[in-house]
Amino acid sequence: MNSSADLVSRACRGDQEAFRLIFERYSRPVMSFIYDQVSDRGLAEELMQETFVRAYRSLKTLRSETKLSTWLFGIAKNVARESLRARIRQNQHLNLDDQQVLDLSDCGPVPVSQLLNKELNEVVQRALALLDEDKRLVFTLKVFQQCSYEEIAEITGFSIPKLKTDLHRARTEMRQRVGQYVRA
Amino acid sequence: MKCDDCVNLLEAYVDGEVDEHESERVRTHLMTCSSCENEFEALTAESELYARYDRELQISPAAWSGISARIAAEPSAIESRERKDVRGWFAGLFAVPRLGFAFSGALAVLLAMFAVGYLYLRTQPEQRLLAAGGSGVRVNGETIENRAGQPEQDPGDATNHPVDGKQLVAKKDQQKYRAPRVDDPGVLFTDAAYTDGDTASHLDQAQKLLVSFRSLPADDDDDVDVSYEKSESRRLLNENVVMRRDAEATGKFPTKSVLGSLEPFLIDIANLPDKAPASDVRQIKDRVQRTDIVAELRSY
Repeated sequence: MNSSADLVSRACRGDQEAFRLIFERYSRPVMSFIYDQVSDRGLAEELMQETFVRAYRSLKTLRSETKLSTWLFGIAKNVARESLRARIRQNQHLNLDDQQVLDLSDCGPVPVSQLLNKELNEVVQRALALLDEDKRLVFTLKVFQQCSYEEIAEITGFSIPKLKTDLHRARTEMRQRVGQYVRA
Repeated sequence: MKCDDCVNLLEAYVDGEVDEHESERVRTHLMTCSSCENEFEALTAESELYARYDRELQISPAAWSGISARIAAEPSAIESRERKDVRGWFAGLFAVPRLGFAFSGALAVLLAMFAVGYLYLRTQPEQRLLAAGGSGVRVNGETIENRAGQPEQDPGDATNHPVDGKQLVAKKDQQKYRAPRVDDPGVLFTDAAYTDGDTASHLDQAQKLLVSFRSLPADDDDDVDVSYEKSESRRLLNENVVMRRDAEATGKFPTKSVLGSLEPFLIDIANLPDKAPASDVRQIKDRVQRTDIVAELRSY
């Protein structure tokens, strides 16, 4: 009854309740994905809202063969990228302290069991922030959002070989930054 | 399966992106290869680490409120878009095609260029005569008009009575023969940007024209039909004047020189009547022969 297709169909007819259910179902993964790109909680929520507003306006363009999640991630990707471009234009930097991330490699091995979750999250987040935009996009879609290669290609517009290469390089870079915690 | 093959597939295997057949081969290899098994375990451990990654994001209740407020007007927008679509479909059946901004802009620029060109031609025919003919139509120190021994036409003749090609021919038919002139607005009317390739093509055509003209039968006193050569010459003359001026402006003096040598012949032929007196044709033919203009064009 409340399949994605039904909800989309109802939302297209102006049923806001149906769109609210879509929001409840997908807001968390969409916001997580955006946060991974912009590394700013407040901005991530703001961009998530923008994503759903744009999605609502464009619901009629959603093709039946496209997965709703893939489509939403595609919009979120555009919204996040626009924001990143705007920040670059304004010469702003990410909120992360990059020097602290660079210093990670100097840390001695720390067992995962001894890491507080918060610390682990910071390690992963900072390692993510050091990936370039394309690699971060592909890596987060694959590893965190569990998208298939075809879905990632549809979201990003990248070819499968490119995204495979980016994914492999992203994994290698991430391993260099968080690998010591994995091996422990 | 070799280790290299296995390692290449391992990430896709962990991602669940290999088919069943490949999965089976990888599984079999991992059971027998400790090195690849270690690599696989490392990838799996990384995946577990990433699975524990918690961004600690909280979606505030205000988030939906914000979205809801922003899209509150959207349902009507969707409906109105639907209505507009239906109306638009019917309206489109009878609509005049709409010109896009870029197309309209290009059209406006084009029209402006035509207008400027037209005004330029209307107001400065004599300057064009001087610019076009002043340096290039002199042969052996004489202007074409003087060489033909004809009085110079009243400038008002060209400006007050713009002559197109047909009028010019009819007028000359009446007068039988008239001195060739270079201020014929039917001949000189445009500017254009030409490449070296265009110039080479132009000279090649001119050379063929002169060869064709040279072979015209003009041994007896009967009038000669030169209508084809005349029209071709008019076309080439127009190009020639612009090309010569371009060559001069860009410092291509050898090109300017050859175009300048060619121009008097084109003018003479262009201003012949369709049925030209054999004596006039012979005169031009002799000059073509004597000046080796064809050889000069060939050697360019």
